[in-house]
Amino acid sequence: MSEQPLVIIDELKIDVRLTRAKRLPIVDTATFDVKRGEIIGLIGESGSGKTMLCRSLVGTLHRRGAYIASGKLVFDGIDLVAAKGAQWSEIRGKQIGYVPQSALAGPNPVMLIGAQIEEAILQDKNFPKSKVKERAIELLNIVQIRRPEVVMHQYQHELSGGMKQRVMIACAIAQQPQLIVADEPTTGLDVTVQAEIMRLLLSIRAEFNTSIILVSHDLPLVNQICDDIVVMHAGTTVEKIPSKDITHAKHPYTRALYDSRIDLVEPKGKLTTINGQPPTVGSWPAGCRFSEWCNFVRDECRVPQTMPIIPLGPDHYTTCIRYTELDK
Amino acid sequence: MQKGNQLTRKIIGRFLRAISVAFWVMVLSFVMIRVAPGDPASARLGPGAEKAAIEVLRKQLHLGGNPITQFFSYVNELIHGNLGVSLQDGVKVVDIINRTLPITIYLILLSTLCALIVSIPIGTYIGWSGKGSLVYGFRGLTAIFLATPNFFIAMVGILFFSVRHNWAPVFGYDNSFPQNLHYLWLPVAVNTIILSSVISRVLFSSVSETKDEEFVETGIIRGVGRRRFFWFYILKPSLAPTVVLLSYMMGTMLGATVILETVFSLPGIGRELVGAVLTSDYPVVQGILLYFGVITVLLSFIGDLIAYLLDRRVKI
Repeated sequence: MSEQPLVIIDELKIDVRLTRAKRLPIVDTATFDVKRGEIIGLIGESGSGKTMLCRSLVGTLHRRGAYIASGKLVFDGIDLVAAKGAQWSEIRGKQIGYVPQSALAGPNPVMLIGAQIEEAILQDKNFPKSKVKERAIELLNIVQIRRPEVVMHQYQHELSGGMKQRVMIACAIAQQPQLIVADEPTTGLDVTVQAEIMRLLLSIRAEFNTSIILVSHDLPLVNQICDDIVVMHAGTTVEKIPSKDITHAKHPYTRALYDSRIDLVEPKGKLTTINGQPPTVGSWPAGCRFSEWCNFVRDECRVPQTMPIIPLGPDHYTTCIRYTELDK
Repeated sequence: MQKGNQLTRKIIGRFLRAISVAFWVMVLSFVMIRVAPGDPASARLGPGAEKAAIEVLRKQLHLGGNPITQFFSYVNELIHGNLGVSLQDGVKVVDIINRTLPITIYLILLSTLCALIVSIPIGTYIGWSGKGSLVYGFRGLTAIFLATPNFFIAMVGILFFSVRHNWAPVFGYDNSFPQNLHYLWLPVAVNTIILSSVISRVLFSSVSETKDEEFVETGIIRGVGRRRFFWFYILKPSLAPTVVLLSYMMGTMLGATVILETVFSLPGIGRELVGAVLTSDYPVVQGILLYFGVITVLLSFIGDLIAYLLDRRVKI
């Protein structure tokens, strides 16, 4: 298969404008592809730049004073770095759906749920008005909301967290987009609800062959449904790895993340943690950004600019120069 | 079905609360004017009147006697729609109010309308753009207007528009509709300046809060059209605090415009009330305060209701 990937992100660098003269790198750099129908898990701690990376895909970086400084960002053959207003309005909501962070948001509080879904449907200017209601109920059925006729006439504060997120997913898939960007869609939800939402995303992929970028800091959760995992640390994508290989990660940070999970089925006794605080934006170490927390660190890791992308397979790369020694 | 019932029940509950507030306003207005120093009889007869004459007049005006029985007879008259007559000149209180209230209402309604027309674009635009220099200038300017007493702005207005350019009359009033605007436009303008400073500030801060909310971002990404976006994602979620404040301010302005009425010599209800208090004219004071109370309570009821209909997060 030599099919073009749906999304190509290549050495993408995002800066945030602090003052007129001062800029701060916030993503530096990100590299990965998303194939059609693929679910990518984008994993990282808070402040690792995952949200900003998502915003660059939906064109709302400027709202946070950020912009793409360099690199390549291509969606379905369209260069998103150079995309202007008119192009964005063709892409947003139609070809890229967005599911916001569950903890912060949800549907618009001053609009009925039905009105919002209908709004999402009517982004397609040619959609027949007479069928909007029918389609809205159909969408609510797809996201497995019971009694959709009732929910249509409710406001967001009358819904539970999981329901809100289902509604957001319904809005996101209204135009059957090729890509859904879900920014921590299950943070703060009940574990059972988390699993349901994940299952829902899987079924949507199965039905519409939608690519999904699933942002999370919960590696074990995401690992269950993703094809590939992209791990971000301090603004860099440090490793891309097929999720079935996660136990053989070739970057110490990925290992540390995976080892620090709490396994309820087979308790390990002692809980592994990453010592110290994650680096804050603007004070990243020179050289490998994980060097200060890494057990395998050597002097050569601290040489500035040492985070080469080392391909290990078709969907696997690491940026650790000592990856061969991790298993010794 | 059930939801409609819930809404009606909420509205009825809020309305009953409004009525009970109105009742307490009536009781308070009755008590307060009697607690305040002063005697209607001696005020009517003027300084230096004989004690005996004052006593006779007091009897005529039924001023003696138990305050509790007085209260019940007041309430009884009120239920029959009778507000009584002025102790000073025997004019019916209802007539006094009918003569003076429309002027004040005109002043308030016109300045509210103008203030909304001015504040909504300014408040939303500056809140949404969030540009540092713009916000700084806006805050400074509104702070100046808010810190300056309204009579001072009024007097500067008179000096400029009436004395120097003769574009507005210094005093007087005409009761018929288009003509009265000639007398009202300057006081309305002064009131608008102050009112807009308050309203645009509140709207500004709501909008700058709203714009950072996640659902706004979702709306942008969904690709919502410009007009829809402006109403459903910026203005509607931000408007509730402004509406509540405005309805409350319109009520308090009934009494507060007395300063403007005095400066512009408008025969409004505020001036009438001050006069009545100075002469201890119980029925007039009670009547006017009752009107103020009922109007204020009604306005804040309507304000709360509109805010609730705009944004169901509002508690009523």
